[in-house]
Amino acid sequence: MASQWNVYESFQALLQAGPYHLAFEGVLILCIIWLFTAKKKPSKLIRLTKKEEEELIAEWMPEPLVPNPPDEDHPALNTRTVYGKVGRYIDLGKGEKVLNLGTHSYLNLGDRPEVEESALECLHQYGVGSCGPRGFYGTTQVHLELEDRIAAFFNCEMSVLYSYGFSTIASAIPAYSKNGDIIFADEMVNFPIQRGLQASRSRIVYFRHNDVEHLEELLKQQVELDKRDPKKANATRKFMVVESIYMNTGMICPLPDLVKLRKKYKLRLFIDESISFGTLGENCRGITDYFNIPMDEVDMIMGTLEATAASTGGFCVGTKFVIDHQRLSGLGYCFSASLPPMLAASVIKVIDILETEGPALVQELHDKCRQLHVALSTLPDKVNVSGDDISPVKHLRLTESTGNRCQDEVLLQRIVDKAEDLGVAITLAAYLWDKEANPPPPSIRITANKDLTKEEISKTFKVLEKSINEVLTKPESKYEVLTKPESKNEVFGKPESTKLD
Amino acid sequence: MLSGGHGEENPNSSWHSSRGAWLSYLAGLLALHLFLLSIPMISIPTAWTLTNVIHNMANYLFLHQIKGTPWELSDQGKARLMTAWEQIDYGQQFTTTRKFITIIPIVLFILTSFYTKYDFNHFAVNLATLLLVLIPKLPQFHMVRLFGINKY
Repeated sequence: MASQWNVYESFQALLQAGPYHLAFEGVLILCIIWLFTAKKKPSKLIRLTKKEEEELIAEWMPEPLVPNPPDEDHPALNTRTVYGKVGRYIDLGKGEKVLNLGTHSYLNLGDRPEVEESALECLHQYGVGSCGPRGFYGTTQVHLELEDRIAAFFNCEMSVLYSYGFSTIASAIPAYSKNGDIIFADEMVNFPIQRGLQASRSRIVYFRHNDVEHLEELLKQQVELDKRDPKKANATRKFMVVESIYMNTGMICPLPDLVKLRKKYKLRLFIDESISFGTLGENCRGITDYFNIPMDEVDMIMGTLEATAASTGGFCVGTKFVIDHQRLSGLGYCFSASLPPMLAASVIKVIDILETEGPALVQELHDKCRQLHVALSTLPDKVNVSGDDISPVKHLRLTESTGNRCQDEVLLQRIVDKAEDLGVAITLAAYLWDKEANPPPPSIRITANKDLTKEEISKTFKVLEKSINEVLTKPESKYEVLTKPESKNEVFGKPESTKLD
Repeated sequence: MLSGGHGEENPNSSWHSSRGAWLSYLAGLLALHLFLLSIPMISIPTAWTLTNVIHNMANYLFLHQIKGTPWELSDQGKARLMTAWEQIDYGQQFTTTRKFITIIPIVLFILTSFYTKYDFNHFAVNLATLLLVLIPKLPQFHMVRLFGINKY
């Protein structure tokens, strides 16, 4: 029962209340007054007088619209032009077609007529563009079918489709890893991954290339740190990002060891399968297929459709729980127009081909990769080849660097130019040197494809041998490069200048 | 969801400021008090103290305990370690919203003291919970985790 209460009794109580109580209430009332009178903290704007303003304006020097414009003979301003379709042989506008060893079409699926036909068929139904992002009228039946097909191909619950390979990887990583998290990444990861790591604002810990022991050492250090502050450790997510075949070195990652570490140290493992999609494993399903590792040992697989799939775009596959998150948090997914339906249709065709002929194609590709690897390994000692023998991407590096990256690049570029004149188109691996986290040494990147014949491989060997001998044996030619860098023809080895003997 | 539709980088910084939110707060408080008063076993002083204690507990939980936002922000997790109180008005002190939210528990305490007839036991309980919500609201305690409590 509620007792009777009246105002009079309360006022009596107020008069008899202990002094401590009244004092405290007094303080509280002062508090209220203080709050009412307090002004908002002034914002930190500095008020300037008219004169000061004018002085500042007069002082201001606008920066050039394009800072540090490159020299006119910068290689990026003098790129080669391919006339016509990029196939196994390309026309560089010099009359004869040259053998193409620079494009990442390992299975040459872009040359298949049925792939082209399926794209054309789709073009007649849906037109060229999709006219919007996936969440905003940009989804067609073709996109949904392709996502289902990719998921089924990888034996996963769900996949998500992006419209650009680079942004796939650069969006997928920061969709999960945030400020305060830790990412363990191989030091040789490719540029899209580096951009993703940077955008995540997480703490990045690089381990030595393919060095599982170093990774474990770093993980143990992290465990020690975690023990000191278990509460913080509880709020920190840990990720591991690796490539299945490294674009920058051509090495295959030691996935079985990484999977063990993932389990032991409770990491979330993301793999970039840009190169290995369609080129590794018995059923060409990539690195998990190659090492026979079940898909649930890997949290997410990312990849581009710009290599084997001969299209554009990228994909991520994994469990529904993980992948679905990207439909609202993958920035490249949300804010880019979706993949043109016809390009998606061509990828569906590619997956058809991989599912039926895949095992044979991969076998053939591996044979050619091995043959090319043997050929490249027997080149003169002045260069060495890096990469696993079955990797379709190989890097030729100078055995003895001149000690200066620019000079190395100039020498390698002259080899490339010489080889092109002799009928083999290869390319220097291009990097944004000042943006790379761990710049790899300069190299010539050579890609294998499954249709290489024995004659083509021996021709490549001969051409490379000749170019290397010509460029690298002449000490005076090296000297000339160093002393006269201002001449365009000298530096970038146009035909006239490579004729030094 | 991604924020941005409201023109706000972090919607958690502004919704407390709307007059509708203030009115709902007061209405909720009144409803709680009337509900407690309507229970026959509870005397009027107890009902007031209970109102005060429940209010302060909820206030502490929602403003000073739970961190982050229900929205996914483009700030890449900057608000992840901030309580709701710290996010109000992007951390600016002495704004109207902050004053309002600070004054409510004080006024409630003074009313409770009056209606509990300045009884010492009631006073002790009400004082303790009042300090629990008042201290973290002080500008000097912005982003401070006393003794590392509730740090992560």
